[in-house]
Amino acid sequence: MFEFFLQIALSGIATGAIYSVIAVGYSITYATMRVLNFALGMWVMLGGMLTYSLHVNFGLSLPITLTIILAVMSVLGVVGERVSVYPFVRAGSDAWIMSTLAVGFLFINVAELVWGQSPKAVPPYLGESVIKLGPLSVFPQHLLVIAAALVIFYILHLFYFRTLMGRVFRATAHNAEVASLMGINTRQVCVLSYIITSALAGLAGAIVVPITLAEPQLGTVLGLKAFAIAIIAGLDSPRGILLCGLAYGAVEALLAGYFYTGIRDILGFSLMILALYIKPEGLFGRAVQERA
Amino acid sequence: MKKLIVGRVPGLVAIGALAIAWSQGALAADIKIGYSGALTGPVAYLGIDIRRGAEMAIEEVNAKGGVKGNKLVLVSRDDEHNPVKTVANHRELAEREKVVAMIGTTNSAAMLASVPIINDELKIPILAPAADATAIIENDAWKNKKDNYIFRIGMYGRGQSNFLVDSMVKKFGYSKVGLLTWTAGWGVTGRGELNRRLKELGMTAVSDETYDTADTDLTPQILKLQKAGAEVIINYGLVRENAFVTRTKQKLNDTTPYASAWGIAAPAFWKAAGETAEGVLTSTTIIIDGPQSPERMAVLKKYGDTHKQEIEAPFGFFAAYDIIKLLAVVMDKVGTKPADIRTGLENVPEFKGLITHFKRPVFTRDRHDALTEEDMVLGRWTKGKLLQVHYETGKGPYVILDSGEKKFINTKTLALM
Repeated sequence: MFEFFLQIALSGIATGAIYSVIAVGYSITYATMRVLNFALGMWVMLGGMLTYSLHVNFGLSLPITLTIILAVMSVLGVVGERVSVYPFVRAGSDAWIMSTLAVGFLFINVAELVWGQSPKAVPPYLGESVIKLGPLSVFPQHLLVIAAALVIFYILHLFYFRTLMGRVFRATAHNAEVASLMGINTRQVCVLSYIITSALAGLAGAIVVPITLAEPQLGTVLGLKAFAIAIIAGLDSPRGILLCGLAYGAVEALLAGYFYTGIRDILGFSLMILALYIKPEGLFGRAVQERA
Repeated sequence: MKKLIVGRVPGLVAIGALAIAWSQGALAADIKIGYSGALTGPVAYLGIDIRRGAEMAIEEVNAKGGVKGNKLVLVSRDDEHNPVKTVANHRELAEREKVVAMIGTTNSAAMLASVPIINDELKIPILAPAADATAIIENDAWKNKKDNYIFRIGMYGRGQSNFLVDSMVKKFGYSKVGLLTWTAGWGVTGRGELNRRLKELGMTAVSDETYDTADTDLTPQILKLQKAGAEVIINYGLVRENAFVTRTKQKLNDTTPYASAWGIAAPAFWKAAGETAEGVLTSTTIIIDGPQSPERMAVLKKYGDTHKQEIEAPFGFFAAYDIIKLLAVVMDKVGTKPADIRTGLENVPEFKGLITHFKRPVFTRDRHDALTEEDMVLGRWTKGKLLQVHYETGKGPYVILDSGEKKFINTKTLALM
């Protein structure tokens, strides 16, 4: 009985790690620019599809594949920010909500044309054999996603709190106007944050694709769930996003295990509304008071 | 001058007559068959294979002189799997292109949206190769005993569920059936049909689990099916979902026999699921691995030579091929008026298609589903190939390997013995 609980919780946490890795992307641009890439799931998909081509089709090693993906996604990040965010932010318009989504749909259509629609398998990086943890079974790839999530969050933490650039980011997030007066090129910070988000999405795609299969719709629902998690946790709290993602995955799986699948999203999204009702800034978010 | 003109009259008449004959010949030459399906988007692999099947059959019919000396032409339109576009395409094909018959769509929703318009307004016979909702054929016209212009050479929902449940219960001998269905459209109707059939057999599912599009790991569902003591799991989903099921089963070392509706009866499933697909059963209308008839072999070879790839949706390709050949037979007999073609289709006493040899009327006034449960086949995924399952009385189910070796299936695990 306890085994049943643990096995389900473990598989849920592994799924939750996927949500976390994607969800943190939302927080990075939000912190610096108060802008979200609403199509982040589609960027993750692109990372997954590139992994399929480079690693499976062309047989490139994983480090080379990842390097190319990071480079390609960074360049796309620069272009994406320039065409779908900057013109609207500069004009004080909220049309970036639509334009970032439009870029995502463009990615889906391009992916369908280039890779076709049928899902393709990417072999797990640590092999197919199942790892036994006592009575529990887990795929090494799932452990890899959990580990990757922890590493990514740790690196982000170091970046924000231990590097000069991180301080610049935090300063811009805190108050872009004052940061600008202090000589910080906030425009560069914004572009850089979009690049980091894009590269991270590509990396997330590469990490999750052996689990999700490579297909143009890979990121659509995942991106949506990740967004819900980022909102529940609070968009300005990467650590909260990590915890909420893992917990959300576990709760989802346990609901499916002890009740049934249909109730999962009803309860999941009700929880989100409840959390926001109690704490509008997110469970881990900091309330900010606007001073006149 | 007068003499000059009069003298030339016979010649002018002859030229005029030739011109008229030529122009009429050109106008009468083309018999248009319409097709609207997903040629882009997530199901394009099916839409394209349907078109390829129709094109190959048309080429063969035309090579033998066409229909009464006239050429067949396929006019195809992309509906992107979107029922709104399907309806617009069907209207355009009928009203502007003046097609005399049509090949059905790639999805049930599109067919269902178009059925009332075709029956009440367009009145063009349409033959469905892939959409499997029962209500496509059993529509209002059918219920009210009016002229039904909708036909199908393919799976139909109720028949498939009956076939799957009956195969598992009566032929494989399972008494505890667990269900695992997708919460998206196709899975929902499938779940209803499977439960209905179980009830008709006096059974209930020991566990009735569902999953949604976001699920990549189905640990909770599989563990619950295990706990309920399911001897077999029947699924209604597509390639992706089935791949997640077989992987989760591998992770949990679950050997419960597993069968799925025809969404995985295509090579894409093995590509997505890999070795975890070994032993999975699926219902379908045609299996192209293993021993084949010479006619099928010839068509398969031609497909490979023309398109330099393997068929991605065999059931769609062969159904479209058979549909064109059947239409040619009917039009040879009754001409090309849509209403006559409709009646003609109901009066074909025998037809040798590639999906099956119909040794009975293909359609009748009341039965517009060409294939019955008896025509459906069960396949077992075996080392990347989908092999047909046969039965031997007293010994159980078996497959025939490429080597010609007969291998019985262990019904406890679906492993080969």
